[in-house]
Amino acid sequence: MPMDQSLLNTHVKLLAFDFLSLSPTADPTVFSRFGKLLSRAEIVGTITSRDFKPNKFVRFTIDDGTGCVPCILWLNHLRSPYFSRRDPASVRLIANAATEFAARIKVGVVARVRGRITSYRDEVQITVSDVVIEKDPNMEVLHWLDCLRLARKCYDVDVHKFK
Amino acid sequence: MASLAIKSGALVTLPELHPSSPFYEEGASLRVTGKLQHYYVETAIAIIADGSATLNIDTQHLRDLSFRVGSIYQFIGELHIQQENGAILQARVGRNVDGLDLNLYHQSLQLLRQFHADRMNNSSNLMQF
Repeated sequence: MPMDQSLLNTHVKLLAFDFLSLSPTADPTVFSRFGKLLSRAEIVGTITSRDFKPNKFVRFTIDDGTGCVPCILWLNHLRSPYFSRRDPASVRLIANAATEFAARIKVGVVARVRGRITSYRDEVQITVSDVVIEKDPNMEVLHWLDCLRLARKCYDVDVHKFK
Repeated sequence: MASLAIKSGALVTLPELHPSSPFYEEGASLRVTGKLQHYYVETAIAIIADGSATLNIDTQHLRDLSFRVGSIYQFIGELHIQQENGAILQARVGRNVDGLDLNLYHQSLQLLRQFHADRMNNSSNLMQF
């Protein structure tokens, strides 16, 4: 049976327990949720740890009350050979944005994080592409409701045929 | 990996946190929300309330958080059961959540738990790819 790719390039809004139960596929950039292929995710929660290595990365965890999602924000764009073939001006923009995001990441704040779903030591994580700090305390609750609504109305549609 | 050592704070309301509750156990990682009733500067103990239920919070590890009686706070930490003084939450994270719609919070928490429980029940029936 072909895998459903309709959500492959969408930042799917997931609760931590749902995110942490994603299954790896043969492609390391793609994960499966009940037969639907995903590569990007958005989560919202409280930052509960932060490990900062200057010019390398910030590793942090986001706790949304259903689980803790490990996140990594790379800060090595100007030194990494991975970016050496790309346009230097674009790489500088990405690097500057990452530096700004890193400054926002503090233990105790509520953050909305988007990025690629990756794995590290067999644990699923988010490789962060952008970070927004949520000042309104209701935003985390609204994210829960978004996740519930999207799961029922969108992400889980057609899942039952796999029963 | 550092994240493996950090437990998620289970969402719990203060009225649910009584000795017969499954959340009420030594070392349990919890997230609690309540209105600040008292704050003792000398001990860094805060007392938060939700209705008639209260909980002591040890805030000695928190920095950059100012306490104002009457404001609403949310804490994540580990519960410690004390024989004489009841339970106290050793907070590792805290923030002011003034403006939080508590009715929406409580109703959404019930929906979240139901969704989580349904998913746990159904996931074993769904094919994994």
